[in-house]
Amino acid sequence: MSTDAVAVIGFVVLFALMLLRVPVGMAMGLVGVSGFAWLVGGGPALKTVGHTSMRTVTDYTFGVIPMFLLMGAFVTNSGMSRELFHAANTFVGHRRGGLGIATIVACGGFAAISGSSVATAATFSAVAYPEMRRYKYPQSFAAGVIAAGGTLGAMLPPSTVLAVYGIITEQDVGKLFIAGVVPGLLAAAMYVVTITVIGLARPGFLPEGPRASARERLAAVQDIWAPLLLFVFVVGGLYGLPFLPRFTPTEAGGVGAAGAFLLGVLRGRLGRNEILRSLLQATRTAAAVFTVLIGALLFGYFLTVTQTPQKVTAFLTGLGLGRYGVLTLIMLMYLLLGCLMDAMAMIILTIPIIFPVVVHLGFDPVWFGVIIVMTVELGLIHPPVGMNVFVIKSVVRDVSFSTIFRGVLPFIATDILRLIILIAFPLLALWLPSKM
Amino acid sequence: MDRCIDTIEWVAAFFVGIVAANIFVAVLLRNLFAVALPDAFDFGRLLLGILIFWGIAATSYRGGHITVDLVWANVGPRWQRNIDVFATLVLLFVVSVQTYTLFDKVRGTYHDNVLTFDLRLPTWPFFAVAWAGDVSAVLLIAIRTWRLIFQPEKLIDRTAGVE
Repeated sequence: MSTDAVAVIGFVVLFALMLLRVPVGMAMGLVGVSGFAWLVGGGPALKTVGHTSMRTVTDYTFGVIPMFLLMGAFVTNSGMSRELFHAANTFVGHRRGGLGIATIVACGGFAAISGSSVATAATFSAVAYPEMRRYKYPQSFAAGVIAAGGTLGAMLPPSTVLAVYGIITEQDVGKLFIAGVVPGLLAAAMYVVTITVIGLARPGFLPEGPRASARERLAAVQDIWAPLLLFVFVVGGLYGLPFLPRFTPTEAGGVGAAGAFLLGVLRGRLGRNEILRSLLQATRTAAAVFTVLIGALLFGYFLTVTQTPQKVTAFLTGLGLGRYGVLTLIMLMYLLLGCLMDAMAMIILTIPIIFPVVVHLGFDPVWFGVIIVMTVELGLIHPPVGMNVFVIKSVVRDVSFSTIFRGVLPFIATDILRLIILIAFPLLALWLPSKM
Repeated sequence: MDRCIDTIEWVAAFFVGIVAANIFVAVLLRNLFAVALPDAFDFGRLLLGILIFWGIAATSYRGGHITVDLVWANVGPRWQRNIDVFATLVLLFVVSVQTYTLFDKVRGTYHDNVLTFDLRLPTWPFFAVAWAGDVSAVLLIAIRTWRLIFQPEKLIDRTAGVE
């Protein structure tokens, strides 16, 4: 049997196993090792299992994943989201759609210290949704804003998805984090504009809240010193700001986790139960992500012996679509996959195949990381299987899926426009990393 | 039994905290006192290995791995159970093979007398503790399979929320 035939059979079996709910990492590992064994031999294939598994879990660089997950869990469980939402609300809550704008701003602030889209969406479903409903905001709008705001978690540093992309493609994780800043801020700004436009286009659809006094605003700003300090310390350390120690990404995660823990404990926000819950949450998610990482590395050997990345590169570049045509094709594939699987699994499964194509086409790897994470994040909110939508539904029981998806539609349009802008102007993502 | 599973999960959770503390103390000492914590790097990565394998054990039992639920979510309870049994059997097979091959890695590290960089401590005990996590994963997945088939009411299926 030719290597091409083995590769095709491998992919068919992989997708069949995944559709039969075999954990993504285990399916990749099984197919990868079996395919490698078929082509190279059983002995070498078995050797790769133990060696790759142990090498992956004892790689210090990969420590960035559990550390940022732990920081995000401490931040989430210490209630910093409420302070951010309250502060944003005192400044913009009185405007038409102001609570929606406050949600986006607070989601951005929270994303900058939690690093997770799903955590951001889940947290603000509990914090912002009841408040918006209290002021008679429509269900669809309230849920849509939270779903969209949640996606900021993967763009603004520290982003767990960008860290994994960086590790797989051997790019500087610090540069990737910094590259996400301008696109993340652009996303937040465009969501705010979208809400403003909805408010103007449909008068009466979005209510206004009460205006806060100057004293209330000052008090609210004083409340957000903790998340602000954490963000400046972690990202400042990564970026090498003056008067701050310089960290590697793993160190930034560890210091961020310890900082979030200390801030939570010293301010009386993290009790014994919250600490234990945070440790468990970080452990569970880290174990799930590492299983996929191990599987992907084992699958990588299979890809290498079948020369799949090279063949996919030759095929795509031979289509005559031009580099932007191929890029569009890749992004459409990600949007389609977004209907099937989780963002992290999608990145780990596909990047080893797609990345050589992107490099061959001459695109900047850091810029592509930002673009692809944005595309994958779009999958978190677009129908029929947006993960953020499911998360909101699990927290807010009285809203239907169709209502949430209806509320998300304007933000999907905004996301597509933002992607076009970033493809047209790569400097938006690359300017800050170039200053590092 | 449930207490045993909880203990396994707590072992992993404890090590997450230890890894973070190790990094924090190392960074603090380096930047404030220009002192390097001996073997901070090696301890960090070796403890990471332990936390991940013990975490995988608990995650496998809880059904918290990243999965594609498209088919599962659109079939009846009977087929859902069949799919779950099949997926868990595959999981059991893969983790068993992994555990078998990992033992070779632990044995190799012992025979090669691989040491940490600063304190020259043998690394094989760390590898052995990590391997023990994988052994417990096999046991827990076997229990999960048994319960899925014969005592489904005893299983609480939880999907990990991963970004």
